[in-house]
Amino acid sequence: MIKFVCNRFLLSIPTLLAVLTIVFLIARVIPGDPAAVILGDSASQEALENLRHRLGLDQSLTQQYIQFVTGVFRGNLGDSLVSGTSVMREVLNVLPYTIDLTLAGILIGIVFGVPLGILTALYRNSFLDFIARILSLLGLSFPAFYSAILLILVFALQLGWFPVISSADLSDPVQRLHHLILPACNLGLIMVAYVTRATRSSMLDVLREDYMRTAKAKGIPVMVILFRHALRNAIIPIITVVGLYIGVLVGNSVLTEIVFSRPGLGKLIIGALNQRDYTMLQGLMVVYSLIIVITNLITDLTYGFSDPRVKYS
Amino acid sequence: MRRSCMGKVLILSVFLMAWLVLGWAGESRAEVLLRVAISSADVGQLDPHLTSKTPDVALLQWMFNGLVRFKPGSMDPRTIEPDLAEKWTSSPDGKVWTFQLRKGVKFHGDYGELTAEDVVFSLQRAMNPKTSAFTSDFAEVKTIEAVNPYTVKITLTDPVPFFLGLVSNYHAGMIVSKKAVEKMGDKFITNPIGTGPFMFEEYKAKQYVSCVAHKQYFRGAPKIDKIIYRYIPSTSSRELAFRSGEIDLFYGDRDQRWIERMRGYKDTIVDVFGPGEHRDLHLNMTIKPFDDVRVRRAVAHAINRDEMVQFLGKDVAEPAWSIVPNGYLGQTTEGIPKYEYNPEKAKALLKEAGYPGGFSTKVMITNIEALMKPMQIIQEQLRKVGIQIELEVMEHATWHAQIRKNLSAMVLYGAARFPVADEYLNQFYHSRSIVGTPKAVTNFSHTKAADKEIDDARTETNQKKQLELWKSAQQKIMTECAAIPVFELKQVWGRRAGFDYGNVLEGSLNLGPVVDEKSRFK
Repeated sequence: MIKFVCNRFLLSIPTLLAVLTIVFLIARVIPGDPAAVILGDSASQEALENLRHRLGLDQSLTQQYIQFVTGVFRGNLGDSLVSGTSVMREVLNVLPYTIDLTLAGILIGIVFGVPLGILTALYRNSFLDFIARILSLLGLSFPAFYSAILLILVFALQLGWFPVISSADLSDPVQRLHHLILPACNLGLIMVAYVTRATRSSMLDVLREDYMRTAKAKGIPVMVILFRHALRNAIIPIITVVGLYIGVLVGNSVLTEIVFSRPGLGKLIIGALNQRDYTMLQGLMVVYSLIIVITNLITDLTYGFSDPRVKYS
Repeated sequence: MRRSCMGKVLILSVFLMAWLVLGWAGESRAEVLLRVAISSADVGQLDPHLTSKTPDVALLQWMFNGLVRFKPGSMDPRTIEPDLAEKWTSSPDGKVWTFQLRKGVKFHGDYGELTAEDVVFSLQRAMNPKTSAFTSDFAEVKTIEAVNPYTVKITLTDPVPFFLGLVSNYHAGMIVSKKAVEKMGDKFITNPIGTGPFMFEEYKAKQYVSCVAHKQYFRGAPKIDKIIYRYIPSTSSRELAFRSGEIDLFYGDRDQRWIERMRGYKDTIVDVFGPGEHRDLHLNMTIKPFDDVRVRRAVAHAINRDEMVQFLGKDVAEPAWSIVPNGYLGQTTEGIPKYEYNPEKAKALLKEAGYPGGFSTKVMITNIEALMKPMQIIQEQLRKVGIQIELEVMEHATWHAQIRKNLSAMVLYGAARFPVADEYLNQFYHSRSIVGTPKAVTNFSHTKAADKEIDDARTETNQKKQLELWKSAQQKIMTECAAIPVFELKQVWGRRAGFDYGNVLEGSLNLGPVVDEKSRFK
């Protein structure tokens, strides 16, 4: 198993390198000059050139690329072009917010999505099934910024239970939780929809199996059949969906972050893009790729824990 | 097993109770806190000599002073009054300026008293292209010297149109602490030190900058203890946060419907103030068919300003008839060609120029609504006379780069500058500012029509003659029709009715309200 983990990490290095190269090039191919963004439109050409020099943007592309890649492998992501602060520090500042939000979103997705999926599979084509399917379709197609504003209108403005600006002080666990709830619900809505649909279709497949009928014929209680026999067999596709969408959620949370004025990786990426903060963008892509690699690995390992038939070699 | 489950429930309920109680307790506040929200996603540069962007300058004006200042709430150069300098004199030829500094002015923190040395250092820093974005403003400055600890002498090679503007509380005129800059170097932008009523406290990336009252401020201690300046890019989020009581003052939406809706809420005041950001349609005369003056005039006659203002809103927008923004010293519409809306004339001009059926052209525009929406209206208006515009909408920084490479035949551009005709004429209509050249700024049309007038006006000491020269410059550029003034769009901020700036807000060169020692909650 350790060998498996090591192998996976080694294999991810070429992927990472490819991602880095593409991000490096794309960032520089898009027209737009970080110096002009920083200094504003009445800056003189002279001032712009000076700034470009100070930021090292007048060096050749190869030079910049070599600096960047060697930096990454030394664990140094460089400094932000715009604010001058260390990219690593900025990432570490917002990472807890992103982790909180993503985990809470996933948790909500699992807690509500799995039971809903089981129920809709059991009572297939019933009234409940139709309602749940319509709702999950709505959840999937509802723009996150719109649902976020609806949540704010009802729970923050009308009822006053939660703040509109959800950027809590991390050292205060109570506030941290309080500020997390609305954004997490917003993100969780999408997750519930995904998980419900995955659980439902996976359960439907398993429920049709012969051993289900056998178990029923043997007189095993329904609950035991459902959880021990059906769900355990149906779980792999659900894990796959959850694992896949952790990556998606980290990126997709940007709309939620913007509406709730919450710091996070997604917002950092958009900000870096708008300001043409090349170093920040590159650094974020490194972190983002690592997150994807790690979540995929965790997903793969979870298969083994939930299904003894899975072997790692 | 059962007991531990009960325990968990107990812990959870205590936790929930604590959260509810603390949640409410957190609402009460002891200190006087002003919570502000601005439209950008993050701070740009917290260095007054490096930034000209709204979110930065609106904040920095609360932390810094100039030698002189605009009367709070005004942007009229005639209201200039003493700030760090108590009084000043200038030689008859306008080339030597001597400033007497106020005594006992304290910098933030333990950076001590302001002396002539700080002023000299600060202005020299603003002249240095390595540390400043405003070096071109100082082209005529020869020397800056400290005569004694409280006297600064500035010598110019030639007189400057409105010299006091250069040392006012705007852009390069903001005075920084020498000790602080020398001590912190590059880190000064993450810890700016000035003499203003509020001092920098903390910066949280993508979240906020906080400032606290500078108790030793020379005009007296501010009544507001702390300011939290939040970066909230989404307009609806700022509005919702204001309505839920989490924000007291915020950057609004420059849209009539929005303003009217906000005015309908109780406890809310919407401030609409200057400067209006001038919007001109620059016609690139190096791109066919805009090399023909008849075509340019046809475009000018096809633009319906009344329709534009009606669409944008009567409170925020006003029509513009001169290429110099309304209210700037030297701006005039008298004796200047006025291209009234007249589609028939536009069609006739096009026919004369050899385009009886009109023509089509490619135009690039940013996805920022304040520019994109008006450009779409212009597109519709020009379609009526047969000019088809293919609009290419792009991301803002991309657009800025592309229009500087002569890639767009028309450039709708908005700006607010120091309210003296010179700066605007220089940056947009002097041949040395043509895009793509070494000293390029924002001359998108490639006009050279008024170089002489612009240059002569700069050094003219007789104000009457100077105004004549500026008038003649406007006449020439408008006759050539290199750019078409369309409208001006004002600044819009919302605030709690109980919050009083302590000044009457009519205009602010720093693009945001002045919050100072007089500002308070009623």
